[in-house]
Amino acid sequence: MKFYETIVIGSGPAGMVGATILGQHGVKTLLLDENDFIGGQLVKQTHKFFGDHAHYASLRGFEIAQKLQDGISSNSNVEVENAATVMGIYPNNTVTYIQNGKKCKAYGKKLLITTGAMEKQLPFVNSDLPGVYGAGAIQTLMNEYGIMPGSRFMIIGSGNIGLILAYQLIQAGAKVRAIVEALGKIGGYAVHANKIKRLGVPILLNHTIVKAIGDKSVSGAVIAEIDDKFKPITGTERELVVDTIAISVGLTPLTELSEQAGCKVEFIPELGGYVPIRNERMKTTNPDVFIAGDLASIEEATTAMIEGKIASLEMVQELTGKDLEKEIENEITILALFRSGPKSVKIRSGLEKMGIKNLAISKPRINEPKEDIVGKLRAVLECDEEIPCNSCEVSCPFGAIYIGENLNSTPVLDPDKCTGCGTCVNACPGLAIFMLKEDVENRMALVGIPYELLPLPVKGQKMWAMNKNGDYVCDVTVERVVKYPNKTHLVYAKIPIEFSQSVRHFSFIKKESPIICRCEEVTLDEIENTIDSGITDFEELKRLTRVTMGPCGGKNCKLVVLGILSRKTGVSISNLSQGTSRPPVKPVEFSAFLKCGDDK
Amino acid sequence: MKGRIKAHPILEFKREKRVKFYFEDREIEAYEGETVAAALHAAGIRVLRYTSHRNRPAGLFCAIGKCSSCLMKINGVPNVRSCMTKVSDGMKVRRQKEKGDVL
Repeated sequence: MKFYETIVIGSGPAGMVGATILGQHGVKTLLLDENDFIGGQLVKQTHKFFGDHAHYASLRGFEIAQKLQDGISSNSNVEVENAATVMGIYPNNTVTYIQNGKKCKAYGKKLLITTGAMEKQLPFVNSDLPGVYGAGAIQTLMNEYGIMPGSRFMIIGSGNIGLILAYQLIQAGAKVRAIVEALGKIGGYAVHANKIKRLGVPILLNHTIVKAIGDKSVSGAVIAEIDDKFKPITGTERELVVDTIAISVGLTPLTELSEQAGCKVEFIPELGGYVPIRNERMKTTNPDVFIAGDLASIEEATTAMIEGKIASLEMVQELTGKDLEKEIENEITILALFRSGPKSVKIRSGLEKMGIKNLAISKPRINEPKEDIVGKLRAVLECDEEIPCNSCEVSCPFGAIYIGENLNSTPVLDPDKCTGCGTCVNACPGLAIFMLKEDVENRMALVGIPYELLPLPVKGQKMWAMNKNGDYVCDVTVERVVKYPNKTHLVYAKIPIEFSQSVRHFSFIKKESPIICRCEEVTLDEIENTIDSGITDFEELKRLTRVTMGPCGGKNCKLVVLGILSRKTGVSISNLSQGTSRPPVKPVEFSAFLKCGDDK
Repeated sequence: MKGRIKAHPILEFKREKRVKFYFEDREIEAYEGETVAAALHAAGIRVLRYTSHRNRPAGLFCAIGKCSSCLMKINGVPNVRSCMTKVSDGMKVRRQKEKGDVL
């Protein structure tokens, strides 16, 4: 058996920060993680994080992981054991783990458990079918291994994870057919939702999945509207042609090890389910055991890091007798500030059930906008929700953006001070800042848009300007592309001045779509879009698009349409209904039916 | 769009050493560092086992070693989490159909 002063279990943001601080204070620490790397779920996050610069806001998740990993590898007091799967915790803080197929034991005077969380289940018919994944699994395949598990996706749940997943899928080249959300409003941050709305992803509120379709693997999904008791409304069911379904209906803490360590757990749904009871300093009901991160309450990386700090500082204090009161109190204040916004209501009420009060030193507020200067190149801030982030304020080299003491307050721009440099557009994790300069005389406006997709447009590129809902507005020619090392580039184009408040995305021009049904002039796009909207029956497709219903009676296009339907649904043509043929099979004059010839 | 992502606006994927393993006796090419489940997904294979009671197809669900949905028979050993096991040259991977015996 090996002996340590502390053992940290799990190397996500909470565990990494905790182990680093323990090591910095000379506490001999063992950090155990099941993966062959440290970093937890941060390594698969490609988006920039909200927060403040002390907690790496504006950096992407995998970059934050790198920073935290560096803090550990340069720390001689922290011993890291990777590929070490903790099996159980036994009396006297004895941790057993399996490594290289062998059982190992370690003892720690104190334990910091940061085992994180996993996706909540959502049972529906065929939810066990291959092709239905937790959202995190798709992120793992796509962002860690570069492997795309499907082509057409549907996401269940519009919390931040669902919204982020949709954006990441589009970045990696997949199609997201829809996000369905059982509630009447979007769960995640508006800025995350806006990022995908302008790319044309529909978010279907008051909807649920009824079942997944497929034999061996998902080939579709039936969704329906739901009533105020969350029951599907009969008659509203429709089919979506998707091959992959992502579940992102929330996370729940992984409490097993903390339970074995003697920590009392209670069911507090506001915090994610069963959670270990703990005090303000992350100490559980076992005085030797501390927790932090998603295990303590389902939140995000910044709060996990701060909790990891609080827990480890208190552990150092108890183990060494050092006086760290000031530092601990300071971190508690920072954490309370983070959680003081309207998006943390649930967390606050959950913590209150545990007897932990939120004592934020100030309240967030909606800051009053300053008078605009039309015609000047300046930033347009479209961040109207109180979320814990001040990266724009910090990034501005000219002090033109104000948020104030509480980082949950909304940002305002001082157009007088703004030089139009675009630094804030590049820094904003929500991609919620745009550039604008009106040319009132010529009734035109130059608009600059953050761009993180492939391919990156070039100067002179003809594109489509799209509005906030992803609808076409007008044709544009790209005027300027500013490339940034952090890969949030800035694309400028001129649009008619009337659209300066609506155009928020530039899309590559979709190829011209061939006519499939010559008689009724129906294009390939129209047919595909109708199928994508849930029409998978040939007869229904006919009625809605009028394919095969013109004078030729489908002789020209029926097989082509069936081919398209087969390709989209994965059902072979021989297994599709080919519809009913009715007279007349050739164009004839109606009068011919009135004039009787010889009946044979 | 299925399979290995070729170009990404943010990420670069390091794919260096190739390895070959066998899935149901079929040779599959993968890259060192990939998990069995990931490499099978790259090859378009999503059914990783059949359940022991109802014989239903099952696949990957959490991909981080928590849910036990992806258990496979790897090198003759049943109940191995294919999402946490890295591929190696010559590895023999099979869909699990039973609960597995004590060896």
